[in-house]
Amino acid sequence: MTTGVPLTASVLADAATPDLPPPAPPAEDVDRFVALSVPLTGFDTFELYGTGMAECYLRATVEQLGEQAYRQFQGALAAVGLDPAQLTDPVDRDIARAVTHLWYLGIWPPLSADVHAELRRQMANTAFTVAPEAYVQGLVWQTFHGHPQGAKAPGFGTWAVPPPGEPELPPSAAPSGGPGHQPGGAA
Amino acid sequence: MSPAREVDGHRYDVIVVGAGPAGTLVAKRLGDQGWRVLVLEAGTRTLDTWPGHLDAMNTFYSSLIKVPNSPYRANTAAPSPNVLDTVPGKDGGYRAVGYLVQNGALPYGTDYVRADGGTFLHWLGLTPRMLPEDFKVRTDYGYGRDWPLGYDDLQPYYCEAEREIGVAGDAAEQAEAIGLPFPEGYVFPMHEIPSSYVDRVMARELNGKSVTDPVAGRQVPLRVVNTPHGRNSTPNPDYDHGRGYRPVGAAGLPNYGERCVGNASCTPICPVQAKYNPLKTQARWSPKVTLVDRAVVSRVLVGENGRVTGVEYQAYDDPAAPVATTHTVEARIVVLAAHAIENARLLLASEAANSSDQVGRNLMDHPVMLTWGLMPGQVGPFRGPGSTSAFENFRKGDSRKKHAPWRLVIANWGWTWTAGSPGSDVAAKLGIPASATDPRGDAVYGQRLREELGHDIGRQIAFQFELEQDAESRNQVTLDPKYRDGLGNCRPVLTYDLSDHVKEGMRAATDVSHQIFGLLGADERTAYSPDTPSYFRYRDEPFTFFGAGHGAGTHVMGDNARTSVVDQWQRSWDHANLYLVGCGSMPSMGTANPSLTMAALALRSVDQIHRDLMDLHRPLVVRPVPLGGDTHPTEVRP
Repeated sequence: MTTGVPLTASVLADAATPDLPPPAPPAEDVDRFVALSVPLTGFDTFELYGTGMAECYLRATVEQLGEQAYRQFQGALAAVGLDPAQLTDPVDRDIARAVTHLWYLGIWPPLSADVHAELRRQMANTAFTVAPEAYVQGLVWQTFHGHPQGAKAPGFGTWAVPPPGEPELPPSAAPSGGPGHQPGGAA
Repeated sequence: MSPAREVDGHRYDVIVVGAGPAGTLVAKRLGDQGWRVLVLEAGTRTLDTWPGHLDAMNTFYSSLIKVPNSPYRANTAAPSPNVLDTVPGKDGGYRAVGYLVQNGALPYGTDYVRADGGTFLHWLGLTPRMLPEDFKVRTDYGYGRDWPLGYDDLQPYYCEAEREIGVAGDAAEQAEAIGLPFPEGYVFPMHEIPSSYVDRVMARELNGKSVTDPVAGRQVPLRVVNTPHGRNSTPNPDYDHGRGYRPVGAAGLPNYGERCVGNASCTPICPVQAKYNPLKTQARWSPKVTLVDRAVVSRVLVGENGRVTGVEYQAYDDPAAPVATTHTVEARIVVLAAHAIENARLLLASEAANSSDQVGRNLMDHPVMLTWGLMPGQVGPFRGPGSTSAFENFRKGDSRKKHAPWRLVIANWGWTWTAGSPGSDVAAKLGIPASATDPRGDAVYGQRLREELGHDIGRQIAFQFELEQDAESRNQVTLDPKYRDGLGNCRPVLTYDLSDHVKEGMRAATDVSHQIFGLLGADERTAYSPDTPSYFRYRDEPFTFFGAGHGAGTHVMGDNARTSVVDQWQRSWDHANLYLVGCGSMPSMGTANPSLTMAALALRSVDQIHRDLMDLHRPLVVRPVPLGGDTHPTEVRP
């Protein structure tokens, strides 16, 4: 059987765009994923969308768990009024941990060995960073008013600025008679 | 095809082995003087370009455990050690699973990078000078080895190294607080890197107070002192008698990285390259300097008259599938600048320079003992360079007779080194254990998770006690033909331990640390686990330590050929035209991060290399040949 199209045509077409992103999940799926992520993370809808990672995380989550387990988790969380502490099934509880971990660090963690077996996952049960920018967008840095190490640099001297609620402090309380401090120092 | 094959059979004035910090500086100076220099780099040079640098950034972002070598791609032709290569043993102790073979009582936890730029790709970028008293620890304190030169000999080269690297610091404070001598009116090229908020809290709580050193029985006053950095800050217009200083930006991207912007990832990689790296110097190399990468030097070639004629090297194309061809290249002078361990490995493989039996011995590092805790209030960790200040008073004095001294470094990055924060904090709150088979804990979610993490992580502090390690001949690099790398070269076999002098230092440091946490009103959380590869007990107390990345001592410098490998110029006693440059020459390291001293030593060697080359170019003086032929073989002119 022949289609009249050279066999290599489609292969070449794919090869020409090797980095074409996978199709975006439907917008309502992303909305639901973010909605369930709010009670998991303690960050609001705007903040979660603001990371730019929602689609990527949904895709990774579904890929890691399978469509069915993810739907089951979604239903279970809805059934307990979006309060993850009320989840009772060990699989759902571990998925809640994993999705939260993903948002906070950009890393998909290993599931518990039992849950991994129960889901009959095809992939290795190992941690991985889902994308370079996922590390950069980790929520954990915001919890203490920091920034991801190696990204979003806040500028020269900002490391001397007091954290919220703490007092300004001089460069160092040098013993009396110590040299004065040079300009170009603290922000 | 690898450009390394194109230089096969060529002849140069100087061959430099290794395009790291020392080799790059040597090549810069000699090239500027007009000598034809070939630099052979075992690793790749993908980081020379901005896209290569961005690739390293992405590799760093994606790595699960952000260790010093995380951004740099693996290379089976020129493998590098990794700090993750020592793992807990099955029945306690440790196992070495990487490039370095280890059989010592304790693990050697230090790594390095075999790539263009060398280990300066991931150095932290601190440039304290050694103290004058650090150069004669054997005479004055009864441990380790003395230098054949002193602080005054290095003074002009320290100043030159501070220019080449571009040092930011407060020289007046260094002089006043530490007692370092500087030339009259000297300032660093740039003003100091501002002290972090963590430093300022320490200064507020601790300056003017003191702690007791229980082992030496003395009171030590506490004072937070800003550390000099090899990192761009604000230029000091008073530098160089009012001529000022222009910061050197990133290699490969113009007008970028001319001031630190606080990425807080100096180790393993500065995203903007405000931190000095050798690629910046290479960008200013004279055209007389040729760099070829993927050229693994496998042997130093020694002629019958004892002089070195050149090197043999293996040229490969693909770092993932090492298949190499062997070549030779010749030079009047050969400089090995491949790292302390690699220099020793190469000398042992070449059976060269070792009439003293000291090659590979005296292997040192700065063993780092970590202590950590939680402050009562927020201190702003994980911001700015890895460390901006230290307590310097533990570095000196007669207590060195009783125990190893240390630099008490204030860490700016919370528990990142001690506990893998903040990732470990998140996992703990979510009840995710280290192993998938361990039982899961209860998880905290939502607003409570966010608040508790912020409350805890924001209060994290840690201290790094960086101890001086005394040179001991039993700590050494050897070769065993059983253990080889992808190209068939022998891998280094390390035998390593800590002396009681160091362990006494750790004992004293533990007590000092407890006192400091007490004075801070902090909740100390230091705990040394038997699961740590470096765990040991000493006088019934548990300890662990980490490598500082400060490999040294393996081609030790001394004042005579019987007991040392190189002379005060880092020139081999056995081969008058072979130089061994780098921390491997250092007989002791004091408590200063060694990079600046290594750079100063390299620049000092260049002066002698230049004199040697000038001598070699003088017209031959025709003298009657003595009948017995009793001239020293290595004095024969070519």
